[in-house]
Amino acid sequence: MLAYCDIRSSRDNKMRIRQGLICLLLITPLSHAATLVVKDTQGSPLPLVMVTQSPASQPAANLSDDGYTPDGVTNTSAPVLTRFTNASGEVSFPDPAEPVTYRARAQGYVDAQFPAIEGELVLQRMTPEQYIASFPSNVWLSQLDFGGDADLKKTFQLNCAFCHQQASPFMRNERTEEQWLSVIERMNSYGARLPTDDQQKIATLLREEYRRLREHPETVPEPRRWEEHLSAVEFTEWPLGDGFSQMHDFLLHPNGYVYIGDNLFDRIYELDPNTGEYTVYKVPHDEDMGLGGIMGNRFKVFPKMYNYLGVHSFAYSKKDGNIFITPSMQQALLEFDIKTKKFITHEMPAGFYPHTIRVDDKDRVWFTLALSSQVAMFDRSSGEFTIYDLPARSVKEWFILKSLPLVFSISPEHRPQPSPDREGTGLPMPYGIDITPDGMVWVARLYANDLARINPDTGEVTMIDFPFQGPRRLRSDADGNLWIVAFQDSLLVKYAPATGEFTSYPLPVINEVPYALNVDRDRGVVWVNGNQSDTILAFDIAGESWNVYPMPRQRFFSRDIEISEQDGAVYTTNSHFPTWQSEGGVPTLLRITPLAE
Amino acid sequence: MAALLPHKPPPTAWLLALLPAVCSVPAAGAEPGWLYYGGDQGGRHYSEAAQIDRSNVQDLEVAWTFRSGDMATYGEEMKKTSTQSTPILLPAAAGESLVYCTPFNRVIALDPASGAQRWSFDPQIDHGGDRPFRCRGVSYALEPRTPVGRACRHRLYLSTHDRQLWAIDATDGRPCAGFGEGGRVQLYGDEGLVPGEVSNSSAPVVAAGVVVTGSTVIDFVRATTPRGTVMAFDSFSGQPLWQFDPLQGHAGSGSGSANVWAPMSVDEEHGLLYLPTSAASPDYYGVDRPGDDLYANSVVALDLHSGELRWHFQHVRHDLWDYDTPAQPILFDWRKNGEVIPALAQLTKQGFVFVFNRLTGKPLWEITEQPVPPSQIPGERAARTQPKPIAPPQLLNPFLMPADAWGLTPWDRGDCADQLAGLQNLGLFTPNSEQLTLMFPGSLGGPNWGGGALLGNSGLLLVNVNNVAFTGQLIPTPDGSDPASHKQDHPAAGHRMQVTMAGTPYNIEIGSLQSFLGIPCNPPPWGKLVAVDLIEGTVAWETALGSVHEMGPVSAPFHIEWGTPNLGGGIATGGDLFFIGATMDRQIRAFDVASGETLWQYTLPVDATATPMTYVYGGKQYVVINAGGHHMFGRDVGDYLYAFALPD
Repeated sequence: MLAYCDIRSSRDNKMRIRQGLICLLLITPLSHAATLVVKDTQGSPLPLVMVTQSPASQPAANLSDDGYTPDGVTNTSAPVLTRFTNASGEVSFPDPAEPVTYRARAQGYVDAQFPAIEGELVLQRMTPEQYIASFPSNVWLSQLDFGGDADLKKTFQLNCAFCHQQASPFMRNERTEEQWLSVIERMNSYGARLPTDDQQKIATLLREEYRRLREHPETVPEPRRWEEHLSAVEFTEWPLGDGFSQMHDFLLHPNGYVYIGDNLFDRIYELDPNTGEYTVYKVPHDEDMGLGGIMGNRFKVFPKMYNYLGVHSFAYSKKDGNIFITPSMQQALLEFDIKTKKFITHEMPAGFYPHTIRVDDKDRVWFTLALSSQVAMFDRSSGEFTIYDLPARSVKEWFILKSLPLVFSISPEHRPQPSPDREGTGLPMPYGIDITPDGMVWVARLYANDLARINPDTGEVTMIDFPFQGPRRLRSDADGNLWIVAFQDSLLVKYAPATGEFTSYPLPVINEVPYALNVDRDRGVVWVNGNQSDTILAFDIAGESWNVYPMPRQRFFSRDIEISEQDGAVYTTNSHFPTWQSEGGVPTLLRITPLAE
Repeated sequence: MAALLPHKPPPTAWLLALLPAVCSVPAAGAEPGWLYYGGDQGGRHYSEAAQIDRSNVQDLEVAWTFRSGDMATYGEEMKKTSTQSTPILLPAAAGESLVYCTPFNRVIALDPASGAQRWSFDPQIDHGGDRPFRCRGVSYALEPRTPVGRACRHRLYLSTHDRQLWAIDATDGRPCAGFGEGGRVQLYGDEGLVPGEVSNSSAPVVAAGVVVTGSTVIDFVRATTPRGTVMAFDSFSGQPLWQFDPLQGHAGSGSGSANVWAPMSVDEEHGLLYLPTSAASPDYYGVDRPGDDLYANSVVALDLHSGELRWHFQHVRHDLWDYDTPAQPILFDWRKNGEVIPALAQLTKQGFVFVFNRLTGKPLWEITEQPVPPSQIPGERAARTQPKPIAPPQLLNPFLMPADAWGLTPWDRGDCADQLAGLQNLGLFTPNSEQLTLMFPGSLGGPNWGGGALLGNSGLLLVNVNNVAFTGQLIPTPDGSDPASHKQDHPAAGHRMQVTMAGTPYNIEIGSLQSFLGIPCNPPPWGKLVAVDLIEGTVAWETALGSVHEMGPVSAPFHIEWGTPNLGGGIATGGDLFFIGATMDRQIRAFDVASGETLWQYTLPVDATATPMTYVYGGKQYVVINAGGHHMFGRDVGDYLYAFALPD
């Protein structure tokens, strides 16, 4: 499914040289690689054992800005490599230049930590209790049926599963209803929108149903088994930031760097995947600006926070390579000059919560305005914004949307807080956005369950009902079809604008709540985030088949996927919120690449 | 490591010799007694005595009272005491006295029917240093190596404030001459006694010829404190048998303690000793003790006879909150689905109950790993996860947000909401930083040394729980702080305390989170009684424990049952009752174990911060509680012992 080291499609000599070097780096060390054989206690080779090589320590770094890299400073992230054993139980790693440690992990076996790749490693089987406890969140979540109220479960998933996993081991602890209500109250203060009327019901159901699962763990289905294709790939992770950071969206830039946004600390990490070196650019803000920008600080109880702008989504201009960034906490658009490394702020005349962003072939910058149910277009040639209103679903919603400027004129401390309902009245929330090859702009509205098409030439907005629930992010394929994740319906959905047909594809893992996706247009593969199952899911469009890639860290939560046009390498970030709940406690940029033969 | 020394008694001989005396269930026809601090060697705080029951408890009246005389003798020094002693009732062969210790380690024997004094023993402790005085109890053992009819065949063991282990004759209080030097063994080495730095508060454990004692160490005023070594001696001669340093070198040289100050338990049948270990020093700063700091904050099972490690469970890794293991491990039979497993339940300050097979350490409730926030202090590597049982639930709700702020008026509620909004607060295990941080529960707990009471073999555990939020802040400090100037374990009621941590770059300031009216900012109850079904893993019921009517500037003429902070424990009885003092309202109460309803209460002269006990003597059931107050409560102190019984 992945084609690596194909440098023919590279656009320029520099890029081809870079690609060639990557290939050499991957192939050459194998000739000096040490090999480990992993076996079970009976002496049989164990295939599909995930072996992770971690640096014993990260290189010394300048973290003098409250524990973070100061503006303009370059540090280095030492990569963490993960490979899988083959059918003979063998796995090889290049000889490390610096001290490393290893971890072996296999389904049904106890993790093993060891210092070197040599000889044989014997893995011990888990006890039945350990085995069940090791299952990822999604299989546990699948057994919560909310008293048979499917709509209530979807409401729960929509509002409670977009930051972190729901049924991880520490979520399944016995809690009293009072304790569950406290959890809900805290989460709603952070930005969840669990409807007021549903909170007590859900507290009761979580207590009852987690207890039932605790008493009858045999009802929990086994997770999907790891498969043979894994022994042909390698994961590379670069740890960035710390346990309070959130590496949200990111961008593969044609200059070879990856630009990653720390959503909570207003920093852009410019990382060179060839060296692990990264330079941090801190987004400036006005001195009188408060934390949380115009939205107000939702995380007052957090020990560390630096989100005056809230850098969210990234897109680059094909014209000059400059990067456009949505600062969710501002009524503005950010531009990062790729040459001067300076930020330019474009103030917007209207709209709230700049969200997902794309740049079209005419160098127009399109992005959703999630709170005000609008789409903004920034015309670089004129420097003007055009704001497209998406229709309200009711008079009440229209009134709420129109009153937003008034609401936001009140200071955050005294601003009235909404009482959310199941329909998300007042919050249709345009979320994902993409541009099809014909230049049409497409938007998914998460709470309204519809799609919007904007004709840039005429300004015409057309709404299309989405026949599933939770259209979050979407992408176009090479043929102009739209691929959309249906969040709380656990589906991958294709929409063919030419015919108006929707086709849904069940995900290959149970009860996943897919956040985002991207399409490898050259290779015809849709890559989907698998946040409850610690996976990335790859759907082959032509063959309508899936490959599943288990992530090397538990509680791996990703919100964005990028694909290298040149070689098909797939990138994502671990942006579990809070990050410290993810295994390892630090965000990472992760790349999936095929191993050379 | 355990160091075996000569003179090891044969375990099986001890078992046979002591069986009649140590069996926790009285023989048929025998009157239920209270032979151990915790009721039995496993600290169940339970008596089968059922004469007093739900139907007649409201008729309880004072049977007798006794005053130790400490108030008259020590005067102002009493303000530095907390009265925590639970008497034990000696067997008939040992004189059948009711025996307890006062905060100054005086041992007093009383007639269990009248409260008349029979004898007393004063170890004449060193009063040097500024540490408060306390004594939770004494331990009894029959010494079969002493011939029948000779002195000290029946012995009491006492660990004192000034680090002496005494053996005295249970019949007359005279020191046992053959034990150590003149009846005592000094528990310190070449470093000598540093008054107050290391002391003892809990009763030693004695079983099968082995007497074991822990220690109380001031583990917060300096980085490197004395080791928390647990010592075992021959109960006959006082010869050292083995020692166990809980840290085992794991915490490096920049630390100390992990001592065992809470009561220990012993499973004599299986030759296992259970240690509740405290935090490594200093309590709130761990840069100089990297890693988990094993075996601090653990329950540790040792071979009683050799001191060798059998199993352990660490409930807090790399403690930064002073979450000592505060309570006696509770040994009981786990009965589920027809299976009976020798079990151990361990309460923690965090409000968790961990349950294990006590022979193997295997959890009987799955233990999950809770990811927790990192520290912001340079060099501080907080543990990434902390253990949490999948059940029962945490006994208090540690989530406290500004919207939860409580107050009598909109103004004090608003003040609390503002304070909460300014706190760093990510729930349990949020590390302290240079910013004010919520500590909920604080170092007081949750549960504390009062532990819990098991209702026989029912699996119902009754626990008194503190429910007051604290705040903490690390304050950068120049070198040269005087560690001798700050000596409290926890802030006194309504106060903030700043404690030096000499040898670190910080002081720690801790206090309760309260409004300008002095009222806690979290909603009541501020103390509660929780009934936990250990077998089902659920909370059966909970109710407020204590009235705040005496906590304001003036006392209210009626009770206001919003719960109070509480210290001391309770006991369960065969009459389906739970007796407890512990609160800041001078009450001793009896609760219905089935419903949590208060069935009886009595106003004592001062607070009773001790665990009561009960026994049947001469056909009559007595409930006895020590009422002397606690220096941390900042209220009156006294020297009372109260016995209650039904009218004749």
